[in-house]
Amino acid sequence: MQGRDPHRTGAARLALTFLRVGVMNEVQYRVNFFIQLVQSLLTIATGLTALALVFSQTDDLGGWTRPQLLAVMGVFTIVGGMIRSVIQPNMQRVVEDVREGRLDFALTKPADAQVLVSVRDVRLWQLTDVGVGLIVLVIALIQIGDGVGWQAIVAFVGILAIGLVAIYCFWLMLASASFWLVRMNEVQELFDGVYRAGQYPVGIYPGWLKYGLTFLVPLAFAVTVPSEAVTGRLTWQAVTVAGATTVVLLALSRWFWQRGLRRYGGASS
Amino acid sequence: MQQPSAESGVVVEDLCKTFKVPVREAGLKASLSSLFHRETRDVAAVDGVSFSIQAGEVVGFLGPNGAGKTTTLKLLSGLLHPTSGRCSVLGFEPRARPAALLRQITLVMGNRNQLQWDLPAMDSFELNRAIYRIPRADFVRLRDEMIELLDLGDLVNKPVRNLSLGERMKVEIAGSLLHQPKVLFLDEPTIGLDITMQKRIRTFVADYNQRYEATVMLTSHYMADVQALCKRVIVIHHGRILFDGELASLADRFSLDKTITARLADGEEVKVSAARSEIAAATSKLLGERDVVDLTIEDPPIEDLIERLFSSEQRP
Repeated sequence: MQGRDPHRTGAARLALTFLRVGVMNEVQYRVNFFIQLVQSLLTIATGLTALALVFSQTDDLGGWTRPQLLAVMGVFTIVGGMIRSVIQPNMQRVVEDVREGRLDFALTKPADAQVLVSVRDVRLWQLTDVGVGLIVLVIALIQIGDGVGWQAIVAFVGILAIGLVAIYCFWLMLASASFWLVRMNEVQELFDGVYRAGQYPVGIYPGWLKYGLTFLVPLAFAVTVPSEAVTGRLTWQAVTVAGATTVVLLALSRWFWQRGLRRYGGASS
Repeated sequence: MQQPSAESGVVVEDLCKTFKVPVREAGLKASLSSLFHRETRDVAAVDGVSFSIQAGEVVGFLGPNGAGKTTTLKLLSGLLHPTSGRCSVLGFEPRARPAALLRQITLVMGNRNQLQWDLPAMDSFELNRAIYRIPRADFVRLRDEMIELLDLGDLVNKPVRNLSLGERMKVEIAGSLLHQPKVLFLDEPTIGLDITMQKRIRTFVADYNQRYEATVMLTSHYMADVQALCKRVIVIHHGRILFDGELASLADRFSLDKTITARLADGEEVKVSAARSEIAAATSKLLGERDVVDLTIEDPPIEDLIERLFSSEQRP
């Protein structure tokens, strides 16, 4: 157990244990699977309709062809499912716990508090979006028809992971803001609203919005750049910027979280 | 840096915690102006508290709501940073939340639950095992011991949300002790529970203290808890310590009257109040004059003592 970096191995083990217990818990509520599946299918149907409308007017949107945009939508759905299954439930719980003073219990444990609050919850059935998104992505790739090499798949998975970490950091900063603001009930709606913008490649938006969606809310790294990877549009520049930004975000969000912790007084009983 | 040592229990020196509380008058206008200019007031929740607790001691921490009990416990468990003063637990400074300290303490709050709501307690125990990195064999032994001592039986296999308040508290306590903590901070562990359940938990805490020589700091509104568990009490009010000493000497300090209750041969019951110094004389007088079958001498109820303590504080 005492590896070279006991702190890190501890974090991974902790995450796996929580994941296992969380999944066991979710499996009890099988009806949620069907509800989520219907929800996923409805969402993708709405998205496809919008896409069809766009391409009834034009053949090209900001340099992206129809099947390429379909791929973006697939990636968008996959990433959304992942965010809603593991990132969002944990971060929302932080917001609630701060308000109700329940964070006490996470802080009196001999584990890194940030790791602990980031792995406590999992919404298994939100992963239906990942399944539906994958299907859409595969269909899009078949339509593109160039064939996808294993390098592209490796790049896609790698970039996707980087993008998810970036989104996690962004959410952690949002959640940490609750140490100062206390009431942040609407923060999830705010995030959902902004996330919806990721349905299209950020390149199609005007400059200020493009940069906002890249560096302020790191949507570009979570959706657009992975989509570039799988549609053969990836540049080394994009990878470098995504990696560097994510490293900066990791440090920044941890700093912000720890500043917040110091302010935490817990709701009095 | 102080050296952590196994012997030391809890040491608190001139501890202060001040909260900034926003001041806002009622009404829309006041709320709007507070958006731009926020006035705050300093409230001293803990105001120069000093005490020390030996390892293995059980201490009752008494005081009315808002006296600073919970704030002190939170300072001791590293949740709050002191405004000034120092505290140490097992030789560690809690504010830095060192893992070596957190692994040896536990915080139980009677009005909150930390087990996963939708899961059986058994699963939450498993999570605690991962958090505290308890070796499998120790974990199983301790878990089964808790299940037996607290008479949990099948309760650990039901989702926590389906348990009654008392049952939930029992599994809560079991979960908080799986890592065999050396220091227990128990904040109102019996709140809202019925008498039987209170007793059960009390016995269990006494048992745990004996078995593992653990230090226990307990706050409770139920005097029975304190009387049963704590030889020593610390009474805190408005963030200051009013009394620190043996529960028995609290009665001496205020020299309240004792009550003699005598049952006579004809079935009549006589109650006589007498000051401590005159209790012997009063008893012999009663025994000489009446035909007494049974006799008890009682200390004044602890509630009366505490009340006396608080009112004496208000008129310094």
